[in-house]
Amino acid sequence: MDWLEDELRRALARQEAPVGFADHVMARRAVRPSGARRWLAAAAMVVVAAGAAGAWRQYQGYEAKREVMLALRLSAAPMHRVQLEVRSISQ
Amino acid sequence: MKTLLIACLAALPVLAAPQQFQLNLDAVAAKASQHVDVSLNSATLQFAAKFLDADNPDESRVRKLIEGIEGIYVRHYNFKAAGTWTQADLEPIRAQLRGPEWSKIVGSTNAEDGGSTEVWLHLAGNKTIGVAIVATDPKEVTVVNIAGNIDLEALAKLGGHFGVPKVKPADKPQKEE
Repeated sequence: MDWLEDELRRALARQEAPVGFADHVMARRAVRPSGARRWLAAAAMVVVAAGAAGAWRQYQGYEAKREVMLALRLSAAPMHRVQLEVRSISQ
Repeated sequence: MKTLLIACLAALPVLAAPQQFQLNLDAVAAKASQHVDVSLNSATLQFAAKFLDADNPDESRVRKLIEGIEGIYVRHYNFKAAGTWTQADLEPIRAQLRGPEWSKIVGSTNAEDGGSTEVWLHLAGNKTIGVAIVATDPKEVTVVNIAGNIDLEALAKLGGHFGVPKVKPADKPQKEE
């Protein structure tokens, strides 16, 4: 069994890391995200932007509707008054 | 050629805005305590129509009413006290409405509350292409120009109905192009 122990000891013997190994590991950590990740981020941004644009359009639409209602209310009130006066005269 | 170009450029805003008379009410505005200023062109009206609920009877009525309208221009003023504004303040408006293209169809005065309403039609041949409304009472002045084809009967009915929500006039003018 001595030869086996010798082989194992040799195979598992402590070895020093090659020169520049730590730098190499740190450099790999700083590698940019993959293409797929970038596309995912861009897609998420597009979805968020589209959602915001939709919400803004909705807000503008309700504002326009409110203005139309206000304009018609202010226009309709005197017309209604005239109509009532004309009716009361004709009766 | 240069003069022609300048004339064309000067005409552009007029073509873009179908407002049929100048709402020059500076004298009235200067005395008012509250002021509502609404200017809606055809594009804004069409855009707003998309947000009117067809299943809601009142909104459906409004939607139908604005179908033929090219623009609504409203100036509404409130005054703290009676007698703040004078008839002379409205003369710039009435002077324009005395033009041959305008025809007064109703002029009513209420002796009780001192209110008066005038309705004018803007005529092009035999066709009505707009309406002007000048409504006053001692503490309020409203001047309206509706450009396009509008059903006045339906408008008056809308005034009596009031699905149209009551909106308080703002202190500051609201503008919409």
